[in-house]
Amino acid sequence: MKLAQQLALAAIGVAALATVPWWGSAVLIQFGINALILATLAQSWNIIGGYTGYPSFGNSVFYGLGGYGTAIAMVQFHLPFAAGLALGAMLAVLFAFLLGLPVLRLRGHYFAIATLGLAEVMAAIVSNLEIAGRNVGLVLPLLKGDALFFELSLGLLALTTLVVAWISRSRFGFGLVAIRENEEAAAVMGINTTLYKVLAFALCSVFTALAGGIHTYWITYLDPDSAFDISLNVKMIIMAVFGGAGTVFGPVLGAFLLSAISEVLASRITSMASLFFGLVIVAAIVFMPRGFADLIRRFREVGWRYFQENVKAHRL
Amino acid sequence: MKRTTLLCLAIGALMAAPLYAAPIELGASVQLTGSLANTGRYYRDAYQFAVDKINSAGGVKVGGAHEKLSLKILDNQSDVNLSVRQYVQLVTQDKVNFLLGPFASDFALADSAISEKYNIPMIQGGGASDQIFSRGYKYVFGTLSAASDYFQSTIDAIQKLNPAPRSVALLYADDAFDVSVADGTRKLLAKTSLKVAVDQRYSSKASDFSSLLSVIKSRNVDAILVAGHETEILNFIRQAKSLDVNPMLYSFTVGVPSADFRAALGRDAEYAFGMTAWLPSKALKDDYFGDAEQFAGEYQKRFGYEPDYHAASAVADVEAFVKAIEAANSLDAAKVRDAIARLDFDSLYGRIHFNSNGQIGLAQTVVQIQKGKLVAVYGQKGFIEKPLYPMPAWGRR
Amino acid sequence: MQLLWQVLVNGVLLGGLYALMALGLALIWGVLNIVNLAHGALIMLGAYVCYYLFTGFGWDPFAALPVAMLVLFCLGYLLQRYLLNLVIRAPMFNTLLITFGLEVVITYLAQIAFSADFRTINPSYAGANFPLFGATVPVVRILAFGVALALTVALWLLLVRTRIGRAIRATAQNLVAARLYGVDPRRLYALTFGLGAALAGAAGSLYGVVSQINPYIGAGLTAKSFAIAIIGGLENPLYVLVGGLFLGIAEALTALYIGPTYTDVVSFGILVLVLIVRPTGLLGRTA
Repeated sequence: MKLAQQLALAAIGVAALATVPWWGSAVLIQFGINALILATLAQSWNIIGGYTGYPSFGNSVFYGLGGYGTAIAMVQFHLPFAAGLALGAMLAVLFAFLLGLPVLRLRGHYFAIATLGLAEVMAAIVSNLEIAGRNVGLVLPLLKGDALFFELSLGLLALTTLVVAWISRSRFGFGLVAIRENEEAAAVMGINTTLYKVLAFALCSVFTALAGGIHTYWITYLDPDSAFDISLNVKMIIMAVFGGAGTVFGPVLGAFLLSAISEVLASRITSMASLFFGLVIVAAIVFMPRGFADLIRRFREVGWRYFQENVKAHRL
Repeated sequence: MKRTTLLCLAIGALMAAPLYAAPIELGASVQLTGSLANTGRYYRDAYQFAVDKINSAGGVKVGGAHEKLSLKILDNQSDVNLSVRQYVQLVTQDKVNFLLGPFASDFALADSAISEKYNIPMIQGGGASDQIFSRGYKYVFGTLSAASDYFQSTIDAIQKLNPAPRSVALLYADDAFDVSVADGTRKLLAKTSLKVAVDQRYSSKASDFSSLLSVIKSRNVDAILVAGHETEILNFIRQAKSLDVNPMLYSFTVGVPSADFRAALGRDAEYAFGMTAWLPSKALKDDYFGDAEQFAGEYQKRFGYEPDYHAASAVADVEAFVKAIEAANSLDAAKVRDAIARLDFDSLYGRIHFNSNGQIGLAQTVVQIQKGKLVAVYGQKGFIEKPLYPMPAWGRR
Repeated sequence: MQLLWQVLVNGVLLGGLYALMALGLALIWGVLNIVNLAHGALIMLGAYVCYYLFTGFGWDPFAALPVAMLVLFCLGYLLQRYLLNLVIRAPMFNTLLITFGLEVVITYLAQIAFSADFRTINPSYAGANFPLFGATVPVVRILAFGVALALTVALWLLLVRTRIGRAIRATAQNLVAARLYGVDPRRLYALTFGLGAALAGAAGSLYGVVSQINPYIGAGLTAKSFAIAIIGGLENPLYVLVGGLFLGIAEALTALYIGPTYTDVVSFGILVLVLIVRPTGLLGRTA
């Protein structure tokens, strides 16, 4: 399917989803908001992790900054929600530029660990800031009515996906992919790798921060542990990878699928949910490391041998 | 022939349906796994125990009939965000009638936003921090006394000891509850002649108190007050021993009343002061369990471990709902909410009566571990038993 | 002055234990290029093995330590041989993700098996201490320090002086060449991971004596181990020791002069700084 056709289908899907608050049950809407936000997170990670090939474990910093920007603006300064979101996004972009520059010089594992370290540092710093409520956190004013949050999340996901779709067809995007495949060659060909990397980092910071702000206002509560949660970061990576990192719709698909299965488990066999999560990760990495999107594409050609081939290609 | 039988059975089933009215469902999201599961289990077991006891006594009298209680408990894996989502699920999907609370102030703080959002009363016995009750919410009630008052009785008792301690160290973890305790304690200490030699916040994730203990030792502090979690207090005591820190007394907000805490420390638990709003005494009479002592015995037999104030508080929450439903004679959320606000009855946990903010006001009894046993030493009317004071140095025990 | 000396002593003793915690992680990372996010979970398992030997059979924890190491070695060997070897040639952050998944699974199973109750390994001499120029030195901490030091030196000797050690280092530097020389990489990788896991097991046993154990201590310990391994340098076990001591002292001084809530800021802040400025670690050779 060509991208244009895929986008058209997606637009229909978005329009259909937009009607959910009118006929859906409260639980469906709640699940929907969570899934949409996770999908946005996975999709924005896709920009730096999937297309550029820099696996960031620090996206939770942007998420937390978005959440805290919103919370501080609304609780300490009594500003409206939109102002809070803007503040959060600005903080995240600032962070992406200031710290992206030094950290993006690292490669592979070192980059991953550096971003992980950044997340821990931010959590520790924020838990000492009086304005952020220190480790106790902040409680936001209550807004009754989930429809607004659902539409906002849906809109954000649509926007993020559009940006990723644009990236996949633009020179900027090709530059990112070139960096992912062979950074030295890309530099030699005249791509300003530093600029491209930092721009990608900043782009994903904006959407992640907005998602964080929306989620925080919805939950009405924020503390350093939940804001800068590493396992949330891993979740967004897993969803992107499971769906297909480096594709336009892969992360969305992965996020929805995993969310649905996880939610069903959490309400039926509550304690097994985390075990399931861990087993899925292990199985997916072994048998389908290129994600669902790749699975769908190649399954038609190769059938069940797809899984075997993956293992053969990657084992010692 | 077969079809007619089937039809009769179906009609019979339909007719029998009204006889089996839906039970009154109480929902809660509790820490059954995760880092807080150790205390979370008190709530799960106590809620179930209370529901079973009330049902076997006939259930709840409402609308002229006796309805049974049923319980739906979800495991929030000690994750606040999951807990919030589960409360939404309990209200909107499982459609429970009323909500019981989780353990811990930060959970209660976040979860009560849901009860407020959906106008369903929540009675929780796990969160004491002042923040929970200072938001003007109408639908959350708490059976743990205000955090800021936790050290009140201890400070009263300290001032009456001989030789009186002159300096005190205040250590507190940086979560909602312990910060509340510290803020209140600071005000209480300001009214005394005790000199605050150390006033330090520490990280909830900390397991190493060496630096803090070294500072306390170098300043020769007489009394140490610690507001933290069981795991930290455990580490604190063991490290105090290994660094040879010998205050005249130390007192902790949690841990001391719990049997497994004392077991984990063994003889090192001796002389530690603590506080509890509840002791399994015969004087606390209850409509369903007889009295607190009986309750403690039955609980121990059924679940294999001794209950502490967490369990008693949880039982009180269930009983409060029953009394409120019966008083309102309705299952309507708003009516039951008003009835809860007007409650005033005695239970195995003590007198259940909520102030205008929704919080209970029970005084803490100062307790001490003496020869392996938990002994009540100071209550509202003064000394109950003689405290073992001052604490002998580690090397001389 | 007295206080500063005591705090420094505390920091050094803690640093030794920190170094041991990070040693296994550094070995696996340096040799196999696997970033093991389940490292903390392995430490936790080692602690439980030691705990059950202590409470169940009355073994002294320092005697139980080698058993814990053995058990964890076997577990590590099996994990690498039959699971991690399957993904080792995939894009490198796949191993990051798979070890994260392992961490979740191990923690969950531990909680089912051991319950969430916290445990302590409390031998009779747990509170004993002795004076050292005015500072109080806890006996268990100095014993733990000694064990950590001994294991670090032992690992270094193994890598530098023995045939197996040379094979490990050769494989780390050039897999193809090592294969040409007859090294069987599957078994060697499994052996190395087992070794790393054994060191984690030792660290866990000591941790159980010094602090307390529950199924959830893994994640925090993994993060700490990263900081130590990076700060010191992955090349050489002795560098990791320096990293551990450095961090132990830094944390102790931070707690004293800035405040106990800032220790994580300092630990991870130094980690990020080291990565940005000198990724090979304070002592490692620059590329």
